Amino acid sequence: MGFISRFIVDFAYFLNTLESYQHVKRFFYDILENDKYQYKKYFDILMISLIFVSVAILIAEVKSNVPKDIELFNTYVISIIFFIEYLFRFWISSSITEIIVNSSEHAFMLGREFSLSKTFFKIIQVKLNFIFSVKAIIDLLAILPFFHELRLLRLFVLFRVFKLFRYTNSFKIFTSVLSTKKFEFFILLMFASIVISVSSILIYVMEANNPDSPVNTLFEAVYWSIVTISTVGYGDITPITIEGRVVAMFVITAGIGVLAFTTSIVVSALTEKLDEIKEVRTIEDIRKLKQFYLICGYESVAKEVAKKLQNARNNVIVLDEEPFRIENAKRDGLVALNYDPGLTESYKKIGIDLKTQVKAILCLRESDVENVYTTLTVRSLNKEINIISLLMDDINRKKLEFAGVSEILYPKGLVGLISKELIGRPVAFEVIHALRNDYYGVAIEEILIDVRMSENIVFVTELHNSKFRVILLGIYKKEKKRFLFNPIDSTLLQSGDYLLVIGNSIFIREFEKYLHKKMKV
Amino acid sequence: MKNTTALIFGYNDYAFEIAKNIKNNYKKIYIFSLESEVDRLKNKSEFEIKSFDLSDKWDVITDDIDIENSIAFSVLEDNAENIFLTISLRSSFPSLNIIALSNNKETASKLQMAGANKVIPLVQTTAEMITEMLEKPIVKEVFHRILFESGELKIFKVKMNNSNYYLGKSLSDIDWDKKYGVIVLAIVEEDMNSEFIYSSKIKHHIISEADMFIIVGYESDIEEFEKVVGEKHNVVSWSHWSR
Repeated sequence: MGFISRFIVDFAYFLNTLESYQHVKRFFYDILENDKYQYKKYFDILMISLIFVSVAILIAEVKSNVPKDIELFNTYVISIIFFIEYLFRFWISSSITEIIVNSSEHAFMLGREFSLSKTFFKIIQVKLNFIFSVKAIIDLLAILPFFHELRLLRLFVLFRVFKLFRYTNSFKIFTSVLSTKKFEFFILLMFASIVISVSSILIYVMEANNPDSPVNTLFEAVYWSIVTISTVGYGDITPITIEGRVVAMFVITAGIGVLAFTTSIVVSALTEKLDEIKEVRTIEDIRKLKQFYLICGYESVAKEVAKKLQNARNNVIVLDEEPFRIENAKRDGLVALNYDPGLTESYKKIGIDLKTQVKAILCLRESDVENVYTTLTVRSLNKEINIISLLMDDINRKKLEFAGVSEILYPKGLVGLISKELIGRPVAFEVIHALRNDYYGVAIEEILIDVRMSENIVFVTELHNSKFRVILLGIYKKEKKRFLFNPIDSTLLQSGDYLLVIGNSIFIREFEKYLHKKMKV
Repeated sequence: MKNTTALIFGYNDYAFEIAKNIKNNYKKIYIFSLESEVDRLKNKSEFEIKSFDLSDKWDVITDDIDIENSIAFSVLEDNAENIFLTISLRSSFPSLNIIALSNNKETASKLQMAGANKVIPLVQTTAEMITEMLEKPIVKEVFHRILFESGELKIFKVKMNNSNYYLGKSLSDIDWDKKYGVIVLAIVEEDMNSEFIYSSKIKHHIISEADMFIIVGYESDIEEFEKVVGEKHNVVSWSHWSR
């Protein structure tokens, strides 16, 4: 290997392993191309705003004098921003260093000499692929108004509108939907082209020699054909000979067909893809949520849990592999996706961050096999997340624990415990049941003492809970895991403690507000 | 003192979980199976399996069981059969305490109509527990201690005795939490309507002889409190469950 080749390969290796370089490149990739990146939308909004400003200035320029500064902003500043964006897109479209490294390794593996020219050719090829892609061409044309002196180039501002495709997902979805009907559109185009060419020639032959006819040139004939076949029919050019009118009848009939065909293609494409479009929207909405509970499997217990969690103003997302259960969830007003919660790919497709977005995963299928499977999948993705699972048969308890469930709920065991308590402690049971279910509007709530509260309220006596008609059942010291029942007035309140209060829900809310607002006297 | 007999209808995991949990409260526990022969062969538990069928006239029970001091659990897995069983038991034994298991709200109300004293709504209860685990973990822990563990914190009903100092006083004047270390949660009035304390209706309530207080506290404090104001009751109206 020659000195230059050696130097280039070494430099490529260096850049490829340089963390700061890769980090910067990754950042630009995220901001330009990664829809899941949270800050991309701000960049997109900025670019969309620039496009609208640019088009608004173009329109304003037609009839009035636009201030010089604004014109300069439109011509140079916006163009330069677009140009910089183009360069970044060019940069991130492919990795030159990776091509060099791969070629070098490939040559080494095969025991061949590394060819710099071949690698260079490969790089050119990859970069040209980007340059000649439709999106890149539009980007380039959108920069052209920079050459303001060429008046025609000013019209290229309109290409900036096409750039909207880059920044709005709705456009992307629409084009992807239409692209599924490429073949049908091709047939339609062929049909329309044949009709237009035949009718243009015919009308030209029939009418051009007639001095009274408005059709004098082939261009006028083509113009008339397109206006007629599109069913627009301006009426500025009309055939006057019998033969010409016969041709017109033929074109008008064909025009109805073309229009109907076009409409049906678009409608059928949209209908076929409707579920997919809805799914994409749902996923986007889920990604925007700050926190939610993820319910895996929508059966009877899941249904009740979802209802209760929603009543407590939580976001709930349901995953289930059975379409009919997903339909049930949607009918119950939940956000539901027909994805198998037992597959890693499902979580990747949805693109949620298990660590920050998901409060807990609830495996609520009434099948231990499914719950173990889902738990293992989720655990393989995240070790920390809180997973709660139903256990249908006690024999499988160890399997669920081994799979990594944080908490298990065994309904059959619960029935046993309830029966015992019904017999042994019926009063306690009734009271707790009533409190759990907010009967009479009375509930039991936990109130966290935060740092601010603990600074302003030092002792229990300063709580004044009885003023709000709220019973203080006790204080839970989370660190020590101790519950202090009916604490004495001089008990010290610390940040991180929880107050367990009983009372009317409205009074509790008022009491909580008071605690947040209270200032130290 | 142990109650006499627990009759559990249904040969399934629910029946065994119930039997396991209540075995210390009853002298005898029978599990009744619809397919007795098969189940008897399979049975490896410590509990005796008896047979019954839904058209039974219950001679098998009346012959050697004291119905007055017994309790029945209807835990058949088929909802219709469970309702039929409950109605059949109720028609034969008007004073028998029947606890039934239901899978959904519709069955729960039918079981109540059929005469069950108590219905355990399985799905709702499971959902309640899961929601509590997530939303109110500390409440869950404290409730668990009161209900399921042998902690010292207890909830009891205390009836006013006819000579105590507090009769005729307003509820707002009492300070039992400081004086006796017990917290009053609710009052069951003379007409057996229970009201949680601090509810708007009960605010100006004057304590009368027939009132019963639902209090929470340490067992020793409750005992002290009883000496002063009344007597402990561990009976319940069975009215609020499974609503």
